[in-house]
Amino acid sequence: MTKEHANWSPYDNNGGSCVAIAGANYCVIAADTRMSTGYSILTRDYSKICKLADKAVLASSGFQADVKALQKHLAAKHLIYQHQHNKQMSCPAMAQLLSNTLYYKRFFPYYAFNVLGGLDSEGKGCVFTYDAVGSYERVGYSSQGSGSTLIIPFLDNQLKSPSPLLLPAVDAVTPLSEAEAIDLVKTVFASATERDIYTGDRLEIVVLNADGTRYEYMELRKD
Amino acid sequence: MESNQAKPGLLCNPEASQRTLYPYVTGTSVVALKYKDGILMAADMGGSYGSTLRYKSVERMKPIGKHSLLGASGEISDFQELLRYLDELILYDNMWDDGNSLGPKEVHNYLTRVMYNRRNKFNPLWNSLVLGGVKKGQKYLGMVSMIGVNFEDNHVATGFGNHLARPILRDEWHENLTFEEGVKLLEKCMRVLLYRDRSAVNKLQISKITEEGVTISQPYSLKTFWGFSAFENPTLGAEGSW
Amino acid sequence: MKLDTSGLESAAPLVGASSGFLDGFADAPSFEVPTTNDFDGFQKEAIQMVKPAKGTTTLAFIFKEGVMVAADSRASMGGYISSQSVKKIIEINPYMLGTMAGGAADCQFWHRNLGIKCRLHELANKRRISVTGASKLLANILYSYRGMGLSVGTMIAGWDETGPGLYYVDSEGGRLKGMRFSVGSGSPYAYGVLDNGYRYDMSVEEAAELARRAIYHATFRDGASGGVASVYHVGPNGWKKLSGDDVGELHYHYYPVVQGAVEQEMVEVAGA
Repeated sequence: MTKEHANWSPYDNNGGSCVAIAGANYCVIAADTRMSTGYSILTRDYSKICKLADKAVLASSGFQADVKALQKHLAAKHLIYQHQHNKQMSCPAMAQLLSNTLYYKRFFPYYAFNVLGGLDSEGKGCVFTYDAVGSYERVGYSSQGSGSTLIIPFLDNQLKSPSPLLLPAVDAVTPLSEAEAIDLVKTVFASATERDIYTGDRLEIVVLNADGTRYEYMELRKD
Repeated sequence: MESNQAKPGLLCNPEASQRTLYPYVTGTSVVALKYKDGILMAADMGGSYGSTLRYKSVERMKPIGKHSLLGASGEISDFQELLRYLDELILYDNMWDDGNSLGPKEVHNYLTRVMYNRRNKFNPLWNSLVLGGVKKGQKYLGMVSMIGVNFEDNHVATGFGNHLARPILRDEWHENLTFEEGVKLLEKCMRVLLYRDRSAVNKLQISKITEEGVTISQPYSLKTFWGFSAFENPTLGAEGSW
Repeated sequence: MKLDTSGLESAAPLVGASSGFLDGFADAPSFEVPTTNDFDGFQKEAIQMVKPAKGTTTLAFIFKEGVMVAADSRASMGGYISSQSVKKIIEINPYMLGTMAGGAADCQFWHRNLGIKCRLHELANKRRISVTGASKLLANILYSYRGMGLSVGTMIAGWDETGPGLYYVDSEGGRLKGMRFSVGSGSPYAYGVLDNGYRYDMSVEEAAELARRAIYHATFRDGASGGVASVYHVGPNGWKKLSGDDVGELHYHYYPVVQGAVEQEMVEVAGA
């Protein structure tokens, strides 16, 4: 009775993959809806995407309880922000808030892998990608979670944009149209589902553009 | 047990002996599903002390307030402590006397917070909890684990139930199950668990929650058939095993 | 465990923070420490789970015209390259740069924190902080967290009233003043090129080329370094980014493909 419980861990990995792509005037954020533990699936319909502000959407995978705590913390912070400033937080502001929030738990980390997508002050798509303790960078596209090692090389191949560090600077915006980006996201998830046991069931896609927010869904393999 | 105590694990604290680092008396699976009029839940009444079946009439399902039903697997004493918290919660809620009462969604959220906060203090309540309920015509069924993982679904199961019962539920569950069909489906799950989960006992309760309230059945047994050829000589043809 | 979290709070107090209804939510942030006896063991396990980005080549040196700072841009988690576009040269303020080696989040966060402190110093004293002072602020903070698992290896480079300044600061509490540093897994390779080519009286162009070449050669030999070689110069008027080159393309710049002499032309075999 002691042996099987000898090592209690405060963490679990509930799996899942997240992707975000920034375009010239849109941003696509997507994640699957499977939640697992070990080899068993807990539920096939759990949303990993959280709309934090009008122009900031967070997709996170990792340990569900930490992810939920993080989402609630940010939502509460954003509520206070609205009361103090009477406006919605911008995506870059939310990005730094998330970075700090993650770092404040540096010594007892949130086991959460985040991608934050949204629109900046000029209406351009922006994507911020994080590690679990809060280092972040702004990129043109990103993927996090259990399937990221399968998805990122695919996106690199299809979208490889010039590095933002290059000087003289080269325009680094994803050259796809909104519809093409959504199609690409559907394809990468269908592919990741083939080879990653923690990705599958259903795909939830959020599209942000000048018109507002739009949700789309697609069924994925359920095995 | 000696081996474990001799070598304190990572989270072992000699001063703080109140921590549940491993469970003592445990209950096994809880299975629950939504049906036409509400929620049905099943759990057996065994209380295991390690591999010993120490207690045989442990009630692992309790009504919480007017609209909720809680089922638990894992450490029985932690479950009973949790029930004391919930009694207090419901009492203070009643004292407002404002005609409002906590629904299953609120209770589930409360349980989630308790479980997650305790794991943050490295002092978990060693349970998997199932919460079902109906309020204002809305059916609700959710789960919380020891470390705070939580979700809702049309059917849930804890522990072994996740491996043995949920595949059956995924296959046979549908939105419009009648009470009789629901009970039959749960009994099918419990029977499979009885056959393959060594800590399951053949004395169970089935409870129901609808708009009208909670009813928990008297303990009863399932009809079993142990004469399957696989049971009679399970190692036939498996050379080198017992 | 008691941690020094002074300086984490935002300067302006939040309205309603003391009304109680925010319930400690708007209080100055602080670090949560796990309730464990074996803190080191937990850190080790937790760090293993979150796998912070590592692997770097960074360098900086003082010369006649100021300080030259350069770095690669790769972050790897074990064998997996998690990013090829990390900004390892952090712009603390217009006159000061920090470099990033070790834990990405540790470096990013504490440089951001240092930036705030430098700005506050500026507002309080009506003059910019010296590089000596800034590097000491950072070193003192890192020293107060010593043994808790922070991983930072940084150079603070800048221009102050005394001219160019360059310090190396790390999470073990070390702080060194110097003319020439390189930090990270690729540093031995970078040092090789740097020490060989360094002269104090270089021009800015020569110095930039030396820095770039040192980073390139480090990315060539060190698998954990790569991506883009960024070069910054800090002079009396602040820093300026001089170049950012994909090292994949730099390779062909340093080693142009020479068209080999064709010894024999392939000919269609007649009547086969």
